[in-house]
Amino acid sequence: MTQPSWQSVFSIVLASARMRFLTITRYPGQLVLDTFIPIVFAAMPILLGRAGGGESAAEMFQRNTGTANYVGYLLIGSSVFTIVSFAFWHLAYWLRWEQESGTLEALYLAPVHRIWVAAGTALYSCGRGLFAALTAYFLGALILRFNPLQGELGLALLFILVGFIPLYGMTLLYGAVILKVKEANALVNLMQWGVSFLMGIFFPITIFPPLLKIIALLFPPTWMTNGVRSALLGIGFFLGEWYLDLAVLWGFMLIAPLFGYWVFNHVEINVRRNEGVGQF
Amino acid sequence: MIDLCHPSRLGSNLSKGFVPSVDNLETLYHANRSINNHAMSQPVIIEHLVKVYTVRQRKGLFRSQKIEVHALNDVSFEVKEGEIFGLLGPNGAGKTTLIKILTTLLLPTAGKVFVNGYDVVKQENQVRSSVGCMLMGERGLYWKLTGRENLEYFAALYHLPPKKRKQRAAQILKLIQLEDIADRTVETYSSGQKMKLAFGKALIQDAPLLVLDEPTNTLDVPSASELRAIVRQLNQQGKTVIYTTHIMAEAEALCQRVAIIDRGELLALGTPDELKASLRSARITHIEGVISAQAEEKVRRLPQVRRTTRSAKNGATLLTVVSDEGYEILPDLIRVLGEHGARIQKIIPEEPTLEDVFIAKTGRTLAEDTRVRS
Ligand SMILES: Nc1ncnc2c1ncn2[C@@H]1O[C@H](COP(=O)(O)OP(=O)(O)OP(=O)(O)O)[C@@H](O)[C@H]1O
Ligand SMILES: [Mg+2]
Repeated sequence: MTQPSWQSVFSIVLASARMRFLTITRYPGQLVLDTFIPIVFAAMPILLGRAGGGESAAEMFQRNTGTANYVGYLLIGSSVFTIVSFAFWHLAYWLRWEQESGTLEALYLAPVHRIWVAAGTALYSCGRGLFAALTAYFLGALILRFNPLQGELGLALLFILVGFIPLYGMTLLYGAVILKVKEANALVNLMQWGVSFLMGIFFPITIFPPLLKIIALLFPPTWMTNGVRSALLGIGFFLGEWYLDLAVLWGFMLIAPLFGYWVFNHVEINVRRNEGVGQF
Repeated sequence: MIDLCHPSRLGSNLSKGFVPSVDNLETLYHANRSINNHAMSQPVIIEHLVKVYTVRQRKGLFRSQKIEVHALNDVSFEVKEGEIFGLLGPNGAGKTTLIKILTTLLLPTAGKVFVNGYDVVKQENQVRSSVGCMLMGERGLYWKLTGRENLEYFAALYHLPPKKRKQRAAQILKLIQLEDIADRTVETYSSGQKMKLAFGKALIQDAPLLVLDEPTNTLDVPSASELRAIVRQLNQQGKTVIYTTHIMAEAEALCQRVAIIDRGELLALGTPDELKASLRSARITHIEGVISAQAEEKVRRLPQVRRTTRSAKNGATLLTVVSDEGYEILPDLIRVLGEHGARIQKIIPEEPTLEDVFIAKTGRTLAEDTRVRS
């Protein structure tokens, strides 16, 4: 028996991420298909914009969002959304998969908290989402003809990486629901539409009525999307400066995983008190 | 998680003089043993364990009613260090439920359970580190990974560093003789091969206590006896084993002590011999040879004898004696038969089995499914 330490826990996170990657390589084609999701997703409103807005589409857009590059704006929205949506899908899918295959019980036999295994899954999801988002962004820029190398790419990446941690915290919350209700699809679908709406993938949330705006601002992916857009297209940060927006995300980063962990733990105890995690 | 992660926390529940620079959990395990004497004295201590499930009984499409299933009722026993302990009971007896509580998968409704001195409710990570468990057989494996990848991943979950994971996986693959298919995905294995791998998984962290829930379930006869041989070998190396089965012969052949549970209650506990000896029911002895009707009559008059029957077998006579005693009756039988001119060729006392013990205790055979009262 070996002593648990922070290194060994970190090593478990990596091993869990690696395990997911190994698994996905046994389903070839998936990773390539990933890339097209954000492009196809963004293509619809872009084409709609071209059809409906005509020559003045860019001007109209400039007035409402602060950039005339609506193609970039929409593509960034759908790329960031891919990362967010992947995080939900992957965590949900992972939990359901473990539940159905019986390996969830095997995980509960190991002397490590499930959130670290989930963190491995999140890391995997982050890698896969980032890969899809980046390729989609550059490939999309090539297809839809705009310059992807504008603004501050590094800062955009920072917003994504910092934003990912509260995102993972949120997926834990929702993993807790799956642990109990043992269903994922309807929940993810619902989440997905709600999330895409709130984080403003295709429009600025400034057009929301006040109450909806507040709800949207309580939601980390909204800050993530706006941060990336501002870094790349210069549309303006919510709080004026990049570091203020980043600080808010940082705050979410501290709170969301803790809250997610707390809820997950409670549901877990409830499940273990009754039927156990073996059921699906 | 938290209480295991940091070396200084490892020491926090130990006595004051203990230096918290433990090298591994085993040290912790032994250090703790000397302190918490009662709980540490046995690998498993179960006190008044109760488990009640709440389930919905369906009544048509939308209606359902909540009912309670009493899977374990006030079960208490201990497992001693270094023994193979059999948990024997028919389908639905509560064996798996008991094992799931031992391995922290379920929380007990009432009662106390200590595993290797750790409370299964309050010290779940310590319990998990000190038990190797095979529960749901082939269902607990990643079918899209290879056998080797499975073992290495589980080794990681038990905090083994990368190099050790590889070593350990290779060691186990050799032990369970799956080396030749180790690099194929598990989905391509046969049921028996998956079962063996699941067994190997239970050995990954080299825990002092092994808990096996019907490990020979889908194995063919040679593979099952191979697995039992490995269990015996591990036991000889000092591991305590809890072995669940509903196959009597298996428990009898393998286990030093056996607990019989049925409908969530502990019916009997002891060595297989003790349990059989406790049977107050009739014993049967077959005697073959040349035996006259008169000799039979005399045997029937013996005070311990309840009934006799005489029949022909292979040109000789077969006398079947039903008595209150087992071997103890033999001297009397031989004497009386000898005195009345019988020539004895063969004496076959019928051994009681654990199955008989079960029948005596419940009035049912083990093959019957028993639904728990709700
Ligand atoms: N999750 C659950 N919810 C409700 N009742 C359950 C649950 N799991 C088990 N039971 C009931 O508890 C009783 C004990 O079940 P358990 O699985 O422990 O039996 P077992 O001895 O392992 O049987 P088997 O030999 O068939 O594996 C059974 O009557 C079963 O119906
Ligand atoms: Mg069972």
